[in-house]
Amino acid sequence: MKLLRVDMDQLLVKWEPVPALYERLGGRALIARLLLEEVPATCDALGPHNKLIIAPGLLGGWSVSAAGRLSVGGKSPLTGGVKEANAGGTAGDALGRLDIKAVVGEGQPARNSWHILYIHEDTAELLPAGDVQGLGTYATSDRLQERFGPDSSVISIGQAGEGLMCGAGVCVTGEGNQRSNHAARGGLGAVMGSKGLKAIVIDKPQAKPLPLADEQLFRSAARTYAQKLINDPKLGRSGSQHLYGTASIVAAVNEIGSLPTRNFSAGSFEASPQLRGTVLREVTLARGGEAGTRCMHGCVIACRNVYADEEGKAIVGTLQYETISLVGSNLGLDNLDAVARLNYMCNDFGLDTIETGAALGVAVEAGLAKFGDLDSLLALLEQVGQGTALGRVIGNGVVTAGRVLGVRRVPACLGQAMPGYDPRSLKGNGVTYATSPQGADHTAGNAFGARNEVNPLGVQGQKELSLKLQIIAAMLDSTGLCLFARPPIIADPQLMVDMLNGIYGWGWTKEEFDRFNRDVLRTELEFNRRAGITAADYRIPEYMREEPLPPHNVVFDVPDADLDAVFETL
Amino acid sequence: MAVEIELFGNISPHVQRLSSLSLERSMTVSEVMDLLGIDAQEVGLIVIDGVQHEIEDPVPLDCRLCFFPYLSGG
Repeated sequence: MKLLRVDMDQLLVKWEPVPALYERLGGRALIARLLLEEVPATCDALGPHNKLIIAPGLLGGWSVSAAGRLSVGGKSPLTGGVKEANAGGTAGDALGRLDIKAVVGEGQPARNSWHILYIHEDTAELLPAGDVQGLGTYATSDRLQERFGPDSSVISIGQAGEGLMCGAGVCVTGEGNQRSNHAARGGLGAVMGSKGLKAIVIDKPQAKPLPLADEQLFRSAARTYAQKLINDPKLGRSGSQHLYGTASIVAAVNEIGSLPTRNFSAGSFEASPQLRGTVLREVTLARGGEAGTRCMHGCVIACRNVYADEEGKAIVGTLQYETISLVGSNLGLDNLDAVARLNYMCNDFGLDTIETGAALGVAVEAGLAKFGDLDSLLALLEQVGQGTALGRVIGNGVVTAGRVLGVRRVPACLGQAMPGYDPRSLKGNGVTYATSPQGADHTAGNAFGARNEVNPLGVQGQKELSLKLQIIAAMLDSTGLCLFARPPIIADPQLMVDMLNGIYGWGWTKEEFDRFNRDVLRTELEFNRRAGITAADYRIPEYMREEPLPPHNVVFDVPDADLDAVFETL
Repeated sequence: MAVEIELFGNISPHVQRLSSLSLERSMTVSEVMDLLGIDAQEVGLIVIDGVQHEIEDPVPLDCRLCFFPYLSGG
C-alpha cells in the first residue's frame, strides 16, 4: 500500500511507501498514530503544522458489507485534541481499491488559494478549484462529477469549511447521485479549509482487485458476517434500522426521557410522535421519496432515506436521528419538513448538524430566534452561509455560541456539542461524552444500545460499560465498519480477525486484535495529554450536575472519580 | 385506573398501536403481552413510565407501558 502526501505549501504531491509503523493501521487507528508521530500536539489546529488525514479502514476496498466507511482526521479545532470522524459513501472503498492507505494534507497555502486534489488510479495532481470555490457541497459535488464523471467519488467542504468555521464537516458522495454523507464532527471541514483543499476527487478505480493472503478464510468469514447481518432482528429486511433508519429510535429515546428538547432543558418532547421513524417512512413513501437505500456498495442493512417535499421533490437524504433530535426537538420543531429544510442547509454549507443544532439551541435561549419557529431559525442559519459575524458565531459551534451570547446551558464536552442523548437520563453516554478522547461523540461508545446491561439512570457500572463501548467503537472506526453492523462482530470477534487475516495474512489472534483496538485509545489519550488536555477537561458541564432533567428529574451524578477511572483498566 | 399501552415500530402489526387496559389483578409484562397477542420474540425494549423493565416485572395498575422492537443507537 502507499501513502499520498499532499504538500499544500509547495503544491506538490508525493507517493511514498507506507512506513512500517503504519502498516497494520487503518482509519481511526492510523489517524491517531500519524498525529502522534507527525503533528506537534500543541499546534494550531488551523495552522500549517496540523495535518488532514483521509483514510479508509482496514476493510476498505474489499467489498465487505457496510465496511467501506471513510475516516477523516486531524487535530480538532473544537476539542484541541485528536479527532476522527467518518462517513459512508464510495470514497472509502475507492481509496482501498487503489491501495491507498491514506491521503495526508500537509502545510498551508497562501490565503485564498484553493485547490482540488484529483486522484486517478496511481496518479494524483492538484488543480485550481476554479468555479467551485464558494459553492455549497451539493453544487460542488454536481460540478465535479459533471467534470470527472458520475462514478467518481467527491470529498468536499462547503462555505463553512472555507470560512474555517469549527462546526464544519467534510462531505462525501455516495452511490448514484447521493450527495450528503458527512464526516461531520470536530471541525475537520475547517482543517480541510485551512489546507486550501476545496475537494478531493477520486476516479472510480478500474484496477483488478488486489490479491488476498488467504482467499478462502476471507470469503468464508465475510459471507458468515453478511448472513448474520441479514438475520439480525434489528438489521434485516424486517428490522427497524432498514425500515426506519436511525430515526427508528426517536420514540424510544423520548420515552426514556433522553431526547434533547429545547436546548437540553427537557428529555421528552410533546411533539415527538411527529418526528418518529414510522412517520418518516410513511411520509417519505407517500411523497415518492426513498426509504431503505444504501450509502455504500453491497450494504445489506440499507438504512438510508431521501426525504421529499409535498410535491415529491427531494429535500435531503438521509434524514437521521441525530439531526432530528438536535435540529428538531432541541429547537422545538414539531415536523420533519422543518427539520429536513434545516438539514439541507447544514449539509450544503458543510456544517455538522449536531454542532449547529446545539449552537442554534443556545442562540434561541439567548433570544435570537424562537423555539418551534422555523423562519427565525432559517434566518439565523442563513447567516452562516453568508459569513456574517453572527453566522460565524453559530458556525463555530456551541461553545463559541454560548460564550458570545452569554448562555450557561451549553451542552458540550471537550469543546464539542453533545449528540442526541441527554446524559442525565442515559448516564453511560455521559461517561463516554466526558471521557472520550474524541469529545462528546455518541459514535465513540453509545450506551443506548446497551440498555439491557446497565440501568441508564443508575451510576453503577457506567464507567465499565463506557470503556467496553469505547474499545468497540475504536475497532469499528479503524476497520471502516458501520456502527450498525457491529452486532455480528461483537458476538464473534473471530469473524473480524478472520477477515483481516484473510486479506493481509497477519495471523492475528483475537487477543492481539483486542490489544490493537485498545492501543487506538491509548494513542489518542497520549496525543491529548501532549496537547495539554487534563482530567479537568474530561468533564460533564456543571449545569448538568445541578439542573434536574424532566421527566425523570435527574441530574448527572456519576462521580468525577469514576470519570477519571474509566481508562484504568485499558 | 388503567394501563396505557403503546407499540412501536413494526412489532406485532395485528395488535392495536395505542390502547388502554384495565387490569383486574396484578400481572407481569409477559402476561400482558400474552393477553394482547404480542410476540415476545419481536420485543427488544420494554419501558414502563419512562423506565426500562424486564419481561417478568409486574405492571403497575396505573401506568404507561411501551413495547419497542430491537433498536440500537444511531
